[in-house]
Amino acid sequence: MNCNDFEAIAGDLSKDGLMEAGIREKGLEHSASCPDCAARLEDERALTGGLRFLAGTSAVEAPSSVEAAVLAAFRQHRTESSVPQQSRFSNRRWIYVAASVAATVLIVGLLVLNASRSQTQHTTSQTTTAATSTEGATNAAPAAPKESPVEPKAEPRNNRSNRVQHRGITRQKPSQEQLDSSLTTEIATDFIPLTNREALAQMDGGQVMRVELPRSALMSFGLPMDMERATERIKADVLVGNDGLARAIRFVR
Amino acid sequence: MTLATFSDEDLLRRMIAGEEEAFAELYKRRQAGVYRFALQMSGSPEAAEDVTQEVFIVLLRTAERFDPARGSVAGYLYGIARNYVLRRLEQDRAFIPLMDPVEEGTTPPSMIAAGDPLDDLTRGESIQSLHDSILALPPHYREVIVLCELHEMSYIEAANVVGCAVGTIRSRLHRARGLLLERLKAAKERRSVAQEVKPARCFA
Repeated sequence: MNCNDFEAIAGDLSKDGLMEAGIREKGLEHSASCPDCAARLEDERALTGGLRFLAGTSAVEAPSSVEAAVLAAFRQHRTESSVPQQSRFSNRRWIYVAASVAATVLIVGLLVLNASRSQTQHTTSQTTTAATSTEGATNAAPAAPKESPVEPKAEPRNNRSNRVQHRGITRQKPSQEQLDSSLTTEIATDFIPLTNREALAQMDGGQVMRVELPRSALMSFGLPMDMERATERIKADVLVGNDGLARAIRFVR
Repeated sequence: MTLATFSDEDLLRRMIAGEEEAFAELYKRRQAGVYRFALQMSGSPEAAEDVTQEVFIVLLRTAERFDPARGSVAGYLYGIARNYVLRRLEQDRAFIPLMDPVEEGTTPPSMIAAGDPLDDLTRGESIQSLHDSILALPPHYREVIVLCELHEMSYIEAANVVGCAVGTIRSRLHRARGLLLERLKAAKERRSVAQEVKPARCFA
C-alpha cells in the first residue's frame, strides 16, 4: 500500500468502522512505516473525535413556538381539505336527492298497487253472490260479500266422463279428495252470472264443474289480472244447468 | 397501543387521514433531527426554526407523495429540509458570513453543550474551530459532513436525502474531511502564532 492508497482509507480507518480486515491491516502497517501517513491518521482520528463530540453535544430541539405553528397549520390544512369534499358532496347532492325521490315513488307505487289489488278483490266479493252449494247456485244472484272456503257439492254423473271439452274450455270434474283438500285452502269469488238473471232464476237444477281457464279470462269478467302471470292458468267453478248450458262461474284461488 | 409505538409510516398514514395526534407524534419524533440539521447547515437558529416549520408544513401538503420504497420518512423530511436550507442559504448569502477559521466566538451557544465535559481550553477552542470550519465548507460538502458525521447516517441514507449516488457521497465526504483538516490545521497554526505574538507586560 502506498501513501495515495492510504489517504483513501484514512478516514474509514479513523472511524474504526466496518472495513475489510486485509485493507485495515495493510493500512495500519503502512502508517507504522510512514511518518506522514501516521500523522495523517492521527489528524483523521482527531477530526473524527471532534465530529463525534459535536454530534453528541448538539442535542437541541426546535422551540415550542414551531410546534404550535405547525399544529395550527395542520388544523387549517385539515379544514381546507374538508371544504372541497363538502363542495363535491354538494355537486352530487342532486343525485342523492333524485335517488331518494325515485325510491320513495317506487315504494309508494308498490303500496298503492298492493292496496288497489286488495280493494279490487274486496269489491269483487261484494258484487257477487256467494254460492256454497248447487242448490244455492240455482238461485244464484249477487248477494252479500262473501269470501269463504269453497264448499262444492260434487255429484258425479255416471253417464259423463270426468273430462269434457266444451267451448274450448277444459272442464274437469274434481274428485272428492281434491274437493276435501281444497276446503281449507281455496278461496273463491261469488258466482258471476253468464246468462241473464231470468234464465238463471228459471234453472231447475244443475251441476258445478271445476275447470281451468287461462288467467286472461279474469279480464273477460272485469277482474284485475297480473300481466306477469298471464300465461298461468286459473281454476274456476262453472255452474252448468241440466240443459248443459253454463249459467254462472266463480274463480277459485 | 400508543402512538409512540407506531412506525413513522403508520403515523404518516394516520396523519393523512386527518389524525392530529399522529401528526403531533411524528413532529415530536422528528423535529429535533430536522432542526439540528438546519441549524448545523445554516448556523442560524432563526433560519433553523423557519426551515423546521416549513418542512412540516410541506409534509402536510406532500405526504401522499411519500413512497416508502424510496426511503424512510426521516429521509423524506431531511430531503425537504435540505432543499429549504439551500434555498435559504442562497437567499441569505449576504447575511451568512463566510467564516474564517480564525474568527472564533461565532458559534451559536445552542451548538455547544451547556456542561462541556472538556475543561481543556485548547480542546474547547478546537471544537469551536471545527464547528466554524464546517459552516465554512461549501454547502455540498457541508451537507455530507452534517448527514454522515453529525447525524450518523449511512452513505445510502445520505444519498437518498441528497439525491445522488452513494459513490458521490463517499467522495464528497472524503473531500470534505480533507478540507476540514486543512482548515483546522490552519486555525491551529494561527492560534499558535497569536499566542507567540501575545504582548507581554512591560515592567520597565
